Amino acid sequence: MTSSPALMIEARGVEKWYPNGFHALRGVDLYVHQGEVVVIMGPSGSGKSTFLRTFNAMEDFQKGSIVVDGIEISDDLRRIDAIRREVGMVFQQFNLFPHLSVLDNLTLAPVKVRKRPKAEVERQALELLERVGIAEQAHKFPGQLSGGQQQRVAIARSLCMEPRIMLFDEPTSALDPEMVQEVLAVMQELARDGMTMVVVSHEVRFARQVASRVVLMADGEVVEVAPPQQFFTNPQHERSKQFLSQIS
Amino acid sequence: MASTAPLVVRASPLRRLQKELFGSRLDGLISIALLAALLAAGLGFFRWALFQAQWAVLSANSTLFAVGRYPVEQQWRLWLLTSLLALATGLSWGLLRAFPGSGAVRALWPRNDRWAASILVVLALWRPMALQLTLAIQARWWGIAALLLLARWAAGRYGPAIPQACRRLIPLFWPLLYLVGMVLISGGLGLVQVPPSEWGGLLLTVLMATFAILLCFPLGVLLALGRRSELPLLRWGSVIYIEFIRGAPLITLLFLGQNILGFLLPGGLAPDRVWRAAWVLTFFAAAYVAEAVRSGLAAVPAGQLEAARSLGLPMPLALIHVMLPQAIRVALPATVGQFITLLQDTTVLSLIGLLDLVGTARTVMANPMFLGKNAEVYLVLAILFWTCCAALGLGSRALETRLNTHSPSAPQA
Repeated sequence: MTSSPALMIEARGVEKWYPNGFHALRGVDLYVHQGEVVVIMGPSGSGKSTFLRTFNAMEDFQKGSIVVDGIEISDDLRRIDAIRREVGMVFQQFNLFPHLSVLDNLTLAPVKVRKRPKAEVERQALELLERVGIAEQAHKFPGQLSGGQQQRVAIARSLCMEPRIMLFDEPTSALDPEMVQEVLAVMQELARDGMTMVVVSHEVRFARQVASRVVLMADGEVVEVAPPQQFFTNPQHERSKQFLSQIS
Repeated sequence: MASTAPLVVRASPLRRLQKELFGSRLDGLISIALLAALLAAGLGFFRWALFQAQWAVLSANSTLFAVGRYPVEQQWRLWLLTSLLALATGLSWGLLRAFPGSGAVRALWPRNDRWAASILVVLALWRPMALQLTLAIQARWWGIAALLLLARWAAGRYGPAIPQACRRLIPLFWPLLYLVGMVLISGGLGLVQVPPSEWGGLLLTVLMATFAILLCFPLGVLLALGRRSELPLLRWGSVIYIEFIRGAPLITLLFLGQNILGFLLPGGLAPDRVWRAAWVLTFFAAAYVAEAVRSGLAAVPAGQLEAARSLGLPMPLALIHVMLPQAIRVALPATVGQFITLLQDTTVLSLIGLLDLVGTARTVMANPMFLGKNAEVYLVLAILFWTCCAALGLGSRALETRLNTHSPSAPQA
């Protein structure tokens, strides 16, 4: 343990039932080390998004334990807010705040939650927008941007909180095909800079090029965890083979 | 149908009117009969208004209608307040023009403003004379109108020169004015006390309406949030409150308030009759505002709250900065509709013996000198209320347009 990079996410035996009795997660384990990029794949309804959303307590769970960046998730609201400050999340539907300008979308949380001076945060926000390639849109409103631009703003918004972990919940699924690449490129650069990332996605090329490990989930369980090269060329489990044949 | 219909070349309005009214022989007959009836009614009205009606009932009681039995020697306070209000209105109006919403064009006197200013001038010149007020009072109204327009011009012209730091403080002017107004009206701080029982007429109506409008809004927002809360006690408390209030007629609540508050609170704490009514109006309107805001909250996608929470914003901050701004924008038309209803509901106060505009009208008409002058009085009251409500509606629409310049559908800047 001492020689390997720090453990950022440690999920053990996580089980979740929805209020209607549906058993969404059936004892799932996952360990993510600092700087790793873990891509979770799986058919719809496999529980991959639900699992991802337990890492920042957007979903609760009934059994098992999750420790994020040394903080164990519990019902303690202060701990949950502490975790959310360290964990950024990017959603399928972008979820930008439509009544705020792009710049204000980025600065809201750092100013209100971290209590940082506004001028300093704005400088940082403009740098981040530069980095995701849309600095010139800083004063527009989200509704005036394309889907790809909105998702890049959403990534920059999360980064503005200086998170130690980034979660991506199907970040390119709601995008027109020609805009997928611009978002993936930003994510790829983020991975290169050493950000710890967990990504729920169907983008095989991204997983092949960027992922440290690929996780296949089905029916609320982890079926296979493997490096991308091995997962895509020589999957070990029948369920993995079946899934890969369906998406290719 | 509309999408497949061929483009129709629009005929001139006169031609279209002709086609609509006299398309066939039967149409023509019906139109002639209806037009004749309308003409007769119009002529009848004008004959009454110009020759039969005796408007003296209004000019003789103008002070009563304006302020009720407010002591004459203290009325300078109300003149001062009206002047301050005119000043504040003029300044705000001018500053709105000096800083139009993003994307809008800045103009010192847009066309609508020229119209509004002209109407104001005509009203200010004609109205005091028509009421046969004394020259001193006529002159005061002219001065107040001039003050408003002067402030409007100055703020529109020199507003942009105000430094940023001072500009932030300007919106505070209105709440401050409200407090100053309350002191001026009721006394205290060295001014002679004028008890609420001596307030009346337009003064009382406007005071009740503004008090209830200002307080019912925050209260309604809290109730709407309570109704969506995950805490059962808060949720059920809000639901029971809202449904109880919405299920009871205002008049019963007003009577209940007059009678029950005295029992509930120890003697000295029970508010005056006027204030009891004001609080009942506030609590009544809050339940309806809560429902409007709730529909606004429901219109905000669930992802908004998730995004805010995932950024580490605690619930109160997420509500204040993300949910409520979007929800209130959706709820604005319904909420202003509720404010307009509230303004009209103040007339019910006359039934519990308060001398608001309608209460004053009833006492005036009970005076043997003015017996049977109901039509004159009620017509003027109706026009007065309509003007206030129309102003509220116009203000809300202007606010919506201004907010919408920031909305997703706004044109590219």
